[in-house]
Order: sequence, then structure tokens, then C-alpha cells
Amino acid sequence: MDKELEHNFVALLEEHQNIVHKVCRLYTNHREAHNDLFQEITIQLWKAYPKFRGDAKFSTWMYRVGLNTAITLYRKSKRTINTYELETFQFKIKAEEYDDTEEQQLKLLYAAVHQLNDIEKALVFLYLEEKDYREISETLGISEVNARVKMNRIKNKLRTILNP
Amino acid sequence: MDELELLKKHWKSQDTQYPKVSAGDIYKMILKRSSSIVKWIFIISLLEFGLWAALTFLLKDSKNAQEFDKLDSDYLIIPLTVLGYVILAYFFVLFYKNYRRISVTDSAKVLMENILRTRKTVRNYVFFNLALMAVTFMAALYIEFDQNKAIISRAQTAAANGETFMFYAKTILLVACVLAVLAAVLLFFYWLIYGLLLRKLNRNYKELRKLDI
Repeated sequence: MDKELEHNFVALLEEHQNIVHKVCRLYTNHREAHNDLFQEITIQLWKAYPKFRGDAKFSTWMYRVGLNTAITLYRKSKRTINTYELETFQFKIKAEEYDDTEEQQLKLLYAAVHQLNDIEKALVFLYLEEKDYREISETLGISEVNARVKMNRIKNKLRTILNP
Repeated sequence: MDELELLKKHWKSQDTQYPKVSAGDIYKMILKRSSSIVKWIFIISLLEFGLWAALTFLLKDSKNAQEFDKLDSDYLIIPLTVLGYVILAYFFVLFYKNYRRISVTDSAKVLMENILRTRKTVRNYVFFNLALMAVTFMAALYIEFDQNKAIISRAQTAAANGETFMFYAKTILLVACVLAVLAAVLLFFYWLIYGLLLRKLNRNYKELRKLDI
């Protein structure tokens, strides 16, 4: 039974692992930290998995565990260094798809998003993942109205950074 | 174009860019130990409970305590000891119940609240214990000065030599030193817990609370 549980879990996570990668991408800024957080989220998912009931979508459940781990449970390991390797590692922006202004804007945008605080990042992340405000509010535990208000403020903040 | 829309477009196009973790690696990962703050909070809290329990035992077995037992002190010390154990049991059960309530699948806010509540239980326990310890200390001092012949005679000698002030000053200084050491140990725990483990959590919790005002 345990083996079966383990097998199911690994298969599901392997399939949906991009969600975890995307959380790591927002909350860390170099490869080692990315891997470290990925591992911690995986452990938390596995620990919570026996209580996972099929009534929620596995991916929805993953968003919650992933964000909770990144925002609350995860403790940066000592080896984490605060270097900005974003352009080399995480945010490869393919030049051919975007014109120069857009490429420049994207770079600035990613850098700006990285400057947001943990909660703002969570909002941006769920927004980028096209979650509606109901889900955003339920994941964070704030009201829908406040989630909306905050999201608008973040948009303004980003706009100011881009067009000073 | 809305800035975030541009970001969203790029975000979605990146889905194939992520490293691929194999099933084998996932198997390896779930065997590893978590390093989450909850685990550390649990360990540190157990240490705190353990420290206080150990302290009670150590104080009981010391030579001074054995001397002290010869005095007529049961009427005060037994109720205080029983009270100490009842409080320990009460807080430990409360702590464990709160700890069990911590679930990573709750909303971010509820998760943070549950972690903070668990910590608060331990903190309250420590405060109660400090108060209890102060009461016990005072009771013990009272009994010593009231019944311990050696101390009474020393106090009398001091009084005869006109050194009453010095005598009491020394006693108070000694008690203060013991309490200072205890306070230092406690501060170390709090530095560990609040300084290192809960700093991020507190910051994020405040941010969430701010949103809901």
C-alpha cells in the first residue's frame, strides 16, 4: 500500500513538477537555492500527500503547499548566496520572439518582481498562473476584495518601476 | 500592453524551459529530511520543556536542596511542586495539540497563525514557570531565614558586627546572579527562535494582516 502511495505520488509530481519549478523561480535567484527549495517543497508535498483527497485537483493542492513552503516553512540554507544570476540561469529571454523594447521590459519586469516581498510574489505568481481572485484569496487567506486591491497596487508598482 | 500581460505571455512560453527532475530523483528527495522551520520549532520547544524539567530535578537533588528538605517546608514546597507539574502537563498537551494542527494545506494565513499559536503556548509556559520559580525562590528564602539555624546565626553575627546591610546585599547579589544566568539561557532560546526562525514568518504575517485591514 505504501509503495503504491509512493509510486502514485512520484508519478503525479513528475507530471506536475513545473508548478514547483515556477514557485522556486520566483522565490530564489540562483540554481542551488532553486534546487534546495524544490527539494523542501517535494518533502512537504510528500508529507501531506496521505491526506490528499481526490476532491481537489492535484495541481491546485500543489500551489498551496508550494507557496506555503516558500513563504512560511522554508528556511534559507546557509549556502544561499544573494547573487543576481537571473539572466544567466532563470530568465532566459529569447531575443527573436520579442523586439528590443519588449526584451528590455521583460528583463526589468523580472528584476522588479524579484524585488517584491514574499506575499506580493505569491499574488503575482497566482496571477501569472491565471488563477481567479477567489482561488488567490483562498490560498492566501485574505478576502477577495483585498486580493484585488493588492493586485492593482502591485501592477501600479511594477508600472512605476518600468516607466520612471 | 499591460506590463503584467507581457510578463504572463512570456511566463507561459517558458514552460518547456525548466529543468526536468526524474522520478528517480523524486524518490531520493522524499527520503531526505525536511529542514522546515516547523521541525526546528518543535525541537526547540521540546528542549525548552526538557530544560525546565531538568532544572527542577537538578535543583531537587543538589546538596542545598537536601539540606533544605530537613527544614519544615513541605507545606509550601509540595503544593508548588505539584502546581509545577500540573502546569507542565497542561502546557505540553496544549502545545502538542497546537502543533498537530499545523497543516501545510491550510491557507497561508491560517498556517502562519497556527505556527505562531504553537510558539505562544511554549512562551506562556516559560513565563508561568518563571513566575512559579520566583515564588518558589521567595518561599525558600523565607523558610531559610526563618528556620535555618546556620543562616539565622550568621544573620545575627552580621547584625552584631553592624554588617546587616552587607549580609543582605550579598544574599541578594547571589540570587540575582543565579537569575541572570537563567535569563541568559532564556534569551539565547528566544534569539534562536524569534531572531532566526520566525523573522520571515513574522514579516510575512504582518504583511498579510496589513492587507486585511
